Amino acid sequence: MPELSINGERHELAASVGTSLAHYLREDLGLTGTKIACNEGHCGACTVQVDGVPILSCITLVHTVEDREVTTIEGLRDHPMVNSFVRSDALQCGFCTPGQIVSATALVAAIPRPSSEEIKHAMSGNLCRCGAYPKIEEAISTWQD
Amino acid sequence: MDILRPDSLEAARAALKNGSVALAGGTELVPLLRDRIVEADTIVEIRHAVPRGIQGTRIGAGTTLGELEVDPQIPDALREACRLAASPQLRAMGTIGGNLLQATRCWYWRLKYPCWLHGGGRCFAHEGLHREHAVFANAPCASAHPSDVAAALLALGATVRTDRRELPIAELYRLPTGDDRRMTGLEPGELILELEVPMPAASTYLKAMDRKRFAFALVGVAAARSPEGTRLALAGMAPIPWLLEDESALDEATPLPGNAYKLEIARALIRRALVAVAP
Amino acid sequence: MARLIRTEKEVEGRYTEQWIVVDEDVLEQWPAGPLETVGRPVPRADGGQRARGEARYTADIKLPGMLHAAILRSPHAKARVRRIDTGRARRAPGVRAVLGPETGPLTDEPPYEGAPVAAVAAETSEQARTAVSLIEVEWERLEPLLDPEEAVRRNELIDEPNREERGEVERGLAESDAVVEAEYRTQTVLHNSMETHQAICEWDGDDRLTVYISTQFIWGVREEVAKRFGLPEDHVRVVCRFMGGGFGSKNGPGDYTYVAAELARATGRPVKCALTRREENLDSGNRNSTIQRLRVGARSDGTLTFLDGEFVNATGWDGWLASTGGPMRLLYACENVRTVEYGAKLNTPPMAAFRAPGFVEGTFGLECLLDELAAKLEIDPLELRRRNHSTHDAVDERPFSSKQLLECYRRAEPHWERRDEVRARSDATWKRGVGLASQVWYGGGGPPSYAWVRIGGDGRAAVITGMQDIGTGSATAMAQIAAEELGLPVDRIEVALGDSARGPYATISAGSSTIPSMGPAVRAAAADAARQLIEIAAQRYDREERVLSLKNGQIVSSDGGSWPLEEITGLLESGQILGKGSRGPNPTGMRVLTFGVQVAEVAVDVETGEVVVEKIVAIHDVGRVINPLGASSQVEGGIIQGLGHTLSEERLLDPSTGGNLTQTLDAYKIPTIADVPEIVTDLVDVPDEHLTNLGSKGLGEPPIIPTAAAIANAIRDATGADVRSLPITREEMLRALREASRQPAREEVGA
Repeated sequence: MPELSINGERHELAASVGTSLAHYLREDLGLTGTKIACNEGHCGACTVQVDGVPILSCITLVHTVEDREVTTIEGLRDHPMVNSFVRSDALQCGFCTPGQIVSATALVAAIPRPSSEEIKHAMSGNLCRCGAYPKIEEAISTWQD
Repeated sequence: MDILRPDSLEAARAALKNGSVALAGGTELVPLLRDRIVEADTIVEIRHAVPRGIQGTRIGAGTTLGELEVDPQIPDALREACRLAASPQLRAMGTIGGNLLQATRCWYWRLKYPCWLHGGGRCFAHEGLHREHAVFANAPCASAHPSDVAAALLALGATVRTDRRELPIAELYRLPTGDDRRMTGLEPGELILELEVPMPAASTYLKAMDRKRFAFALVGVAAARSPEGTRLALAGMAPIPWLLEDESALDEATPLPGNAYKLEIARALIRRALVAVAP
Repeated sequence: MARLIRTEKEVEGRYTEQWIVVDEDVLEQWPAGPLETVGRPVPRADGGQRARGEARYTADIKLPGMLHAAILRSPHAKARVRRIDTGRARRAPGVRAVLGPETGPLTDEPPYEGAPVAAVAAETSEQARTAVSLIEVEWERLEPLLDPEEAVRRNELIDEPNREERGEVERGLAESDAVVEAEYRTQTVLHNSMETHQAICEWDGDDRLTVYISTQFIWGVREEVAKRFGLPEDHVRVVCRFMGGGFGSKNGPGDYTYVAAELARATGRPVKCALTRREENLDSGNRNSTIQRLRVGARSDGTLTFLDGEFVNATGWDGWLASTGGPMRLLYACENVRTVEYGAKLNTPPMAAFRAPGFVEGTFGLECLLDELAAKLEIDPLELRRRNHSTHDAVDERPFSSKQLLECYRRAEPHWERRDEVRARSDATWKRGVGLASQVWYGGGGPPSYAWVRIGGDGRAAVITGMQDIGTGSATAMAQIAAEELGLPVDRIEVALGDSARGPYATISAGSSTIPSMGPAVRAAAADAARQLIEIAAQRYDREERVLSLKNGQIVSSDGGSWPLEEITGLLESGQILGKGSRGPNPTGMRVLTFGVQVAEVAVDVETGEVVVEKIVAIHDVGRVINPLGASSQVEGGIIQGLGHTLSEERLLDPSTGGNLTQTLDAYKIPTIADVPEIVTDLVDVPDEHLTNLGSKGLGEPPIIPTAAAIANAIRDATGADVRSLPITREEMLRALREASRQPAREEVGA
């Protein structure tokens, strides 16, 4: 049986072909930190990292990440970005927030102190309907404080 | 449904037969499969079968837009087209080969109205809402081609190498006809492997959209200057990426009542693009 | 003693009278300004749970044996089911039950696209959706009514037209030195909460039902579900611990809840019914579009002589008549005001409340009209608004309980004065300008709302109430209020909410009412508990009650003694101190409103029609601010939704079929982080001395109200073009610029 690596742990993959990574994480593994808000690649709520790169798990077929390392919000819970989001009040309803944090941690891994422009460019695929954006930018600018 | 993950081109070619479909980044194909606009019994993941990476002027079709947008060596127009396309996550997934084969964003087509492009009798956008639709070659189908990257490659005069042939990128696309409503001339199972993108003297890509990021082009203008002259190409303005002789060729457009504004924008962006690439 | 009184209740600008029971509301308001905890920035208490993905939203709840429902929705705007065959669906894999149009709320005469016709419950959501696709329907398509003006002509209305008049418009017209007349249009916009509408229903026997639901009002859901299924209300338990946005669209149970309950009853298993994004954008409510034909007259000194407005709301098949004329009636001192509001009944999905329904739309028209008048009179727009400042509610002559709008204007001045400097940064392509708009809205909240406070042996406190925190941070504000009253650090307060079986009735989280309704009840409950603590401490430590107080987790005596709170509560071991509190009445004979002003700076690319909002300053008067951090988040969020409303969002319907073309989030464009301007929040923060024991009003809605008009007025300042239709897309901007260039001088409208 094929195996997947999620947050450093191996899991057997028993899902049927066509199942999305987001669905697999939530339904098969119970990792509900990854949210589904549009289920068609238009909002970023389902963002996870594959080999450190943020991708949309709702339109990623789970069978295509077999040989790669998947990191979800559950694997980033101790990242200082989480507290930075809380400190800055960078969330309201919080439904998009795990996806925001997954994107943000990948950004600062590549650019530890991103500029405002760099933040806006890198975070533009994570929609937030509550409009927490100004504080998301603040949280990312001050994550090392 | 089955999935095959061939690790060589030969294996991929063998796997791609009737009822199967090639999957690269999946950003386009997975939603279309889910909506049953594309039907397949076997998915052939071609990630390990198609070249990826940039070597001089050659770009592997499996290279992602995310990899291209940060590459300092590729022409400005291509890098900018990648940078302004879609969202960071989509760019990280989507490959340049797949991007060239995107279907239209026409809302009638996406929502499966029984329109001409789905084999029906009429284009709903003509009588209906078409602010995002084509101003060139927009009959019988007013769908607009969404690819920023294709417009950039068209202006740059790129060549496409498939597993069967080489062709100028302009010849990759065809306007649909009553008998054959496809927008590309690829044969069944034919795979784009590589792009040859000549380095221009100067190039640029300008894009007008409804928000600053993460939107398809209302108007995309690519311009590239080479010793032979300056070439202009448009995204979002015709059912396929559209090569424009010069600015005056905009007069030949046939806008619909609700999208003539695109020409006004195109005029301004073309002027700016020509200034940007001028010697 | 419990007191029975009759009081006025307002939600979203709709007033009703009702009886309530109140305790004597003896608590004096705290002094103005930041206190120990109240008035100071506090990160939200549940932020970590939400950020780490640990918070369990309705979307994340999976009950043992739970089935998934899917709904067959009408693909036509108006149709009749000639024949329906659910046989194949029933036989499909995983299917456990199918409901046809004979089951309410399903229908065989769907009156709008997306109306529910049939439903399936299956083991997985994919199986349910596949089964729905196997239901065969023969449709008879009928001609839909889609044009709101036509509906008004045919008298196809959702309700009687709302006509209100004070003074005499004709007299005002005769006294006018200048008259401006214009038509404004606003579009239909969609809430697009990130968590779609969804509910899980689980029966316990045939007369008890638990509903887990993403809602703004568990009590409203309880009441409606109980009524629908003929159950005592206490047999319905409604739970919403975390929810992913509502913005007015989740005020009631909705068809999906009834579908889940019916299927759960049919199968004897819990059933979840979760809308897809596309269903969400078809049938979960919308801010209806409007057409506003407005007229204003003024004397040459700027004094308004009359206001006259006709408002056509494209309400849709169901809903209510939003108060689009409200701002015209409430914002300015003007003797002669006439408004008539129509609600067109159309074959389009029902509207729902959406963050200041009616006022967002009406303020766009009114505040643009005021700027057009200012230009004609050559009076500074800020000055024009000052000259027409109202000191009391002109509708019914009531005084305002408080109004700091002039202070808002004063604080706006330095931002407003930047306009010469901003304009000077224009060049041939980019034109820059500054605009402003005022805001009026309700937001006073009201009774009934109750809270309990429980203090345990460990000296920690829990606030228990049946309210919900829909993402506004209201739970954190409640913790701050209780902490202040109990003299406890805020991290020793737990707030338990979102469960109708585990707390008393609390307000709907809508109408900017959570803090002004719940806050006073929580303070009263905390004060009740604090009083008991002091009484006990007085006995234990042999002091008079009047010398004791609670501070920093200690019982402090004015003679210098102090004892940790847990020392006295610890005596009780498992015993608890219980306090209860309720929301008192609103001040009699007064009008409670919120006010504000926003100043926008924009840049317009006059060649491509691109509008870039560079800065918005938001100055609002909402009484006492409990948590400045959360409050600024509310302001930013409102403005950003307003920005989408102004520039990029629009539900588009195919003009012939009435089909929604913008069901997906690529076609329906809400703002991204890259679209957001600099936002400066400035809250006046003066308690309303007449309103409750807190003096706090609500803030959820005010910030979205003036944004569109401020931006449109800034565009006029930058370019001279009148944008009177939302959204201001590139084509609308280019159209307005073309029109402005054809009319170099403003046409004179006869006075």
